[in-house]
Amino acid sequence: MHSDSGAGAQSARKWIGKSIPRHEDLRLLTGRGCFVDDIKLPNLHHAAILRSPHAHARIKRIDVSKALALDGVLAVLTGKEVRERTRPFSVVATSPLQYYCMAVEKARFVGEPVAAVVARDRSIGEDALDLIEVEYELLPAVVDPEKALEAGAPVLHDEVGSNLVCHRLLRYGDVDGAFERADLVLSERFVYPRYTSMPLETFAVIASYDHFDGMLTIWSNFMGPFIMHPITARALNIPENKLRFIVPSDIGGSFGIKTSIYPYLTLLALLAMQVRVPVKWIEDRREHLLASSSQTDRIGYREVAVSKEGTLLAIRSRLYDNVGAYLRTPEPATTFRPIGNAVGPYRVKNIEIDAHIVTTNKCPTGPNRAYGCQYIYFEQERLMDEIARKLNLDPAEVRLRNFIQPDEFPYTTPTGGIYDSGDYPRAFRMALGMIGYASFREEQKKARAEGQLLGLGIATGVDPSVSNMGYLTVALDPEVRQRHDYLPKSGAAETATIKMGPLGQVTVFLTTTPQGQGHETIISQIVAEELGISPDDVTVVDECDTAKNAWSISSGTYSSRFASVGAAAVAVATRSLREKLCRIAGHLLGVPAEEVEFQLGKFHPRGRPEKALRLSHVAGTAHWNPRGLPPGTDVGLQVMQTFSFPRAEPPDQKDRVNSSNTYGFMVDIAVVEVDRETGAVKILKYVSVHDSGTIINPKILEGQIYGGAFHGIAGALFEQLAYDDQGQMLSASLMDYKCPTAAEAPKIEIGHVVSPSPFTPLGSKGAGESSSETAPACIANAIADALSPLGVSVKELPLTPAKCWELMRSRSQAKETI
Amino acid sequence: MNIAVQHLFPASPGQLWGFLLDPKRLARCLPGCETLEEVAPDRYIAVMKIGVAAVKGTYTGRVEITEKQAPFHYKLSLEGSAAPGFVRGHAAMDLIEQDLGRTLLSMNAEAQAGGLIASVGQRFLSGIARQMVGQFFRNVEQELNRAGASAVPSPVERGFRE
Amino acid sequence: MKPAAFQYFAPASIEEALSVLRQYGEQAKILAGGQSLVPMMNFRLVRPKCLIDINRIASLSYIAAEGGTLCIGAATRQRSVEKSALVREKNGLLQEAVRLIGHPAIRARGTVGGSIVHADPTAELPTILAALDGEIRVLGPRGPRTIAWRDLFVTYFTTSIEPDEICTEVVLPTLPPQVGWAFEEFTPRHGDFSLAGVAAVLETDSQGKCSRARLAVAGAGPTPIRAFTAEEFLQGQILNETTLLEAGRRVSEQVDPDSDLHATAEYRRHLACVMAVRALKRARQRLHERG
Repeated sequence: MHSDSGAGAQSARKWIGKSIPRHEDLRLLTGRGCFVDDIKLPNLHHAAILRSPHAHARIKRIDVSKALALDGVLAVLTGKEVRERTRPFSVVATSPLQYYCMAVEKARFVGEPVAAVVARDRSIGEDALDLIEVEYELLPAVVDPEKALEAGAPVLHDEVGSNLVCHRLLRYGDVDGAFERADLVLSERFVYPRYTSMPLETFAVIASYDHFDGMLTIWSNFMGPFIMHPITARALNIPENKLRFIVPSDIGGSFGIKTSIYPYLTLLALLAMQVRVPVKWIEDRREHLLASSSQTDRIGYREVAVSKEGTLLAIRSRLYDNVGAYLRTPEPATTFRPIGNAVGPYRVKNIEIDAHIVTTNKCPTGPNRAYGCQYIYFEQERLMDEIARKLNLDPAEVRLRNFIQPDEFPYTTPTGGIYDSGDYPRAFRMALGMIGYASFREEQKKARAEGQLLGLGIATGVDPSVSNMGYLTVALDPEVRQRHDYLPKSGAAETATIKMGPLGQVTVFLTTTPQGQGHETIISQIVAEELGISPDDVTVVDECDTAKNAWSISSGTYSSRFASVGAAAVAVATRSLREKLCRIAGHLLGVPAEEVEFQLGKFHPRGRPEKALRLSHVAGTAHWNPRGLPPGTDVGLQVMQTFSFPRAEPPDQKDRVNSSNTYGFMVDIAVVEVDRETGAVKILKYVSVHDSGTIINPKILEGQIYGGAFHGIAGALFEQLAYDDQGQMLSASLMDYKCPTAAEAPKIEIGHVVSPSPFTPLGSKGAGESSSETAPACIANAIADALSPLGVSVKELPLTPAKCWELMRSRSQAKETI
Repeated sequence: MNIAVQHLFPASPGQLWGFLLDPKRLARCLPGCETLEEVAPDRYIAVMKIGVAAVKGTYTGRVEITEKQAPFHYKLSLEGSAAPGFVRGHAAMDLIEQDLGRTLLSMNAEAQAGGLIASVGQRFLSGIARQMVGQFFRNVEQELNRAGASAVPSPVERGFRE
Repeated sequence: MKPAAFQYFAPASIEEALSVLRQYGEQAKILAGGQSLVPMMNFRLVRPKCLIDINRIASLSYIAAEGGTLCIGAATRQRSVEKSALVREKNGLLQEAVRLIGHPAIRARGTVGGSIVHADPTAELPTILAALDGEIRVLGPRGPRTIAWRDLFVTYFTTSIEPDEICTEVVLPTLPPQVGWAFEEFTPRHGDFSLAGVAAVLETDSQGKCSRARLAVAGAGPTPIRAFTAEEFLQGQILNETTLLEAGRRVSEQVDPDSDLHATAEYRRHLACVMAVRALKRARQRLHERG
């Protein structure tokens, strides 16, 4: 592992920066994790969902009588009841579109729920589904976001009148002027596929209604943001304090997908309120592929204006994001989340983004790992290589000429992003060294002489973490944001609660609902570092219960926020506790608090180590002897502290917004070989260098990097949620949705550069998404380089063997105007 | 799914036409067809067992004949649904006279499957479609041979005589 | 999804199994490894009224070499074949092909007979049966009978086994040391159903000319396909780059693959040729190594 530390602060630490084994692993690996499916309740019944087989159809008649008559069936719900008993979910952009947890009058995507059954067990529930008769009137369907905007295209929502549910033209700097001055203009049309993450655990929900006190309790693997709690309450017409979300300590992966579980929470809630016994639903894999969530598919037109030295002068991006059948909150998050880092790591000052958000007859979308950055970096990095080719420059040199320089941080991008820290050239050169860049071109020449299709691809990107809640309001017109009754959104915060018992043992409560990222371990390392104890002395409670935890609408883990704001909240809460302990110790020792030193579990006045008090004495005082506390000190040792980023403001009138709060950097470089006969792509070497600020646990970080890179490779080479042009979903099992397995995983060499963030107490930044943002671009560039002797252009993914073979048989070029 | 197939039959276009558009014969030729009931001119309700091996479903649906240009062209539309999903298809059927009293039937079909079978059965679909088409042609050929082609009076010829 | 309701029987003998089968006919399915059947039942694509679990019938699981043949009980686990020293000695092609079936977990339950009677044209074992002119033995109320591979595979997932018969044994010839063989397949991911696969068997005479060539293709049509024109062409030829490429070309002419979500018919046809040439090259290599 290559490493290059920043300030040297890392080596002085005892726990931070150490790869201690994960605390969670013992229970996870021995089958003793606690997941939703493990929860036992008396008289538990099961839900089964009938789903539309048509992509677009009016529901003329539903007859549930035979299903209701089946022995073991308690209730059957249809869209009619859903419309009577719920309000449509709140929609972000000012769109009149109505979205319910079930199809009401019209089904708009294959897999949309049209009825739901509660039965004694799931098998009987599915038998009941077979007995439900639905009469559909078929309507024409559309799945392509450009075709959906053509005159005469089927419109999904009559109340909207068009499939364009949101449109913003964002302009920063002097784009037109820059294009006029350019020595070279390149443009291309890129198509980015729809893929998703494949968490091992699918959606899981248990809903239970106490009709005596009106309390609705929902256990699920929802992972935030907890804005979905009030959204669900509002849809169900119940007060927020009568809706209790409980998330167990273990979730089997999410990658953003489980943010979109809330329509199913609503559906199960309705069923539970009707039958008044607990109702459980574990989504099966087919349902997950058909009707859970995924990223959008995007058609992107990108133009770059370049000087003859290869300097980027301006970027124009016109994009069509396919959000599926409904604009489901938090969409259009995918489009606007990366506004702050839209220029990536480059110093270009002029950029225009013409964003079209389009509905079509596909499953509604939501957050998915990479969360908007994958499209941007794919388009941009492909063009960086084309710039190099056209100007006869080395592709690495083109990047180096455009990087933001290390002495420019904090750096404000034209779109309002504030990059906190980084050393892009250093990380980049480390990666070039690791891949053996200097000797590669020679090797490639020799290989080509022997008929081998060998190629190298580079991709760099800025890795944003911790969303500023205000970014989504860029979707609204500035005039709307200026209305006096408009409530702006902003902020990026997390709250941690830490308490210490009378004998000095620590418990931490968090509302980050981890899905396998190892939060318990990380938190224990931070607390141990701050208090001079061992991580084994720290208990972390990561079950989240809205009735008991201190939570806010931004609680949860998404947008890579944990290592950034989550870790920060833990650090400040722990420091606050430490300060309190020192104040108490000072009082007991008869010295001012500032003169108290806390080392190896003991408090002593500075310079007088012999006059020491044990931690248990100080903590004990707080619990047993409140009269012994300094005046004005609260009894007990419980601290709840919020960490809030200062520069998380709403967008300004020019649509500039710091959409995230910490910004890492990664560079991925790969060497591939394309099999001339079969089109199969073999990754011969893959390196990834990351700068995510202070590293708390290197092993956990590397797991994230490896996972993110492989995730991106999966999107580049294997996975696609396939629909035919009538909206039939063709890949609803893992046989056809081709997630690569361990057998396909390449060896990935990881390098680190550490540029601590000046905005977080530990200097750490998020790294959960990392190379999922750049790996697709990296692989695409490598394949384009391998196939360049054939004059082939790469502008679409996935590059399956069949696709590569087709490419090799055709020739095309990027458009060029000078 | 697009299926383009051709098959040579030992009959004149008129004879073949008479065959293909006769509901009783059509019922015997459509693979897995259990019943075919005329509900209006050129419109039928059919019950068909479609599938391959154990992956079979009993589909109820409509069969419709349109765009008739006797005896050279017509369109056959089929639509049915069952538990495994639904199938929909149109086939443009062209009867091209060949020498020696033979006709080339050229079928150009667009078929779509939906529901469960489409979402998890992609591997089976092409096979089922080709199998059915192949079976359909074999059935027609068998029927022709059984009837003794020359013995079938074609409606077109009858028309001329009258 | 959960399967539709079914009756379950676990007979202890073949006779008992046959008697239940006679009762239920087409509404019964035999459960051996279940690796193909159970997913289809879980999707409710297949809804047998009755499942006859033959995993307790010990007499259906064996590997025996008799004279020039290898006899394998229908319910023998694929994994047993994969690990068997007898199979490695008597028919290396079978063992090479079995290793390519799915993943170890699948092979631990999947059976040799089960894979063959499932008759998936992209599967390895039916293709091996075709390449080696193998046959199966079945038992029914009318007594035992033998079915040669070309009479067995009717179309996709369809064999000529009657609804009241059970496959009891798979019979393959042994491959003597002077025979070269190889199995090459192309899969999108490790363990996937192949887009094209070829089993090749080669023998040469004392002058180094091909005396026997067998080529069977998986994923090339409704059943495994023997590429007879390629085989005939190779007869009497020297096995060099030119003749092997020509054989591959003939293979691609003879196959009739489908298009689907993952690959066009054209691409599969091309892959059949590529896999054929690669299989022939490796078979020839093996010939030289052992000869």
